Amino acid sequence: MNDKAELVKRDETTPERSRQIPAVAPVVDIYEDNDEILLHADMPGVAKEDITVNVDNGKLTITGIRKMTATGAANWAEFGDVEYRRIFSVPQAIDVGKVNAELRDGVLKLHLPKSEAAKPRQIEIKAA
Amino acid sequence: MWTRVNDFDRMFGAMDLLRSRMNRVFGDPDRSYGNDYGWVVAEGAPRTNLYDAGNHFEIKAEVPGLTKEDLNLRIQGNYLEISGNRKADAPEGYKAHRVERAAGSFTRSFTLPADVDTEKVEASLKDGILTLTLPKAEAAKPKQITIN
Repeated sequence: MNDKAELVKRDETTPERSRQIPAVAPVVDIYEDNDEILLHADMPGVAKEDITVNVDNGKLTITGIRKMTATGAANWAEFGDVEYRRIFSVPQAIDVGKVNAELRDGVLKLHLPKSEAAKPRQIEIKAA
Repeated sequence: MWTRVNDFDRMFGAMDLLRSRMNRVFGDPDRSYGNDYGWVVAEGAPRTNLYDAGNHFEIKAEVPGLTKEDLNLRIQGNYLEISGNRKADAPEGYKAHRVERAAGSFTRSFTLPADVDTEKVEASLKDGILTLTLPKAEAAKPKQITIN
């Protein structure tokens, strides 16, 4: 009697077993000059449509998904489908509206311009 | 009470998940800055995949930031050599905060599982992935055998 009730209540869904693609952090170079911060990230095989760049609340998130298309059986495979993901803290001084990104030969180049207030300024000393 | 296979499945599913997470933690905590998924000049060459599609082989290699002028391919019989040089793309007048992407030259050579038709090899480069299509030599192609 008790068992029966338990059987009825049990939901029929099997636990989902989707193939997880590994998430890895892409290697990056970060440069800075007076006007902007420049970020280069290696993301080979990721198409432009599969990259998202998100700036929110001082966090810059870069993600990109690589889907490999190949014919035939693999004799060896050293790389495969992967999700590139990396999060950076960005200083408040970044002008979020002017951030722009370009993707070329599997390298993402992100320009993060500094806002006017954050640019270094030379202070002139007035003669008394 | 274990009434269904489903129950076992569910339990082991959760354990598998935990185990894979733990593996990731202990396996390579420094992965993001190491050579695991980055550009692998330190080990000598970029990562490659080789696929056998019956009539041809397909080789894919990760070469982010390289243009076709930077790459050099040589083939002889079943011997293939990929070499190249990745230039540093550090911009002028910037100070560097972090440099993880290595620059430098590499050479990687392979002995393919069979001879290929060197005249018909094609190579293309897209989004930092080099793809080589290598048609097999006639003798190495798979043949259908009819039973008499």
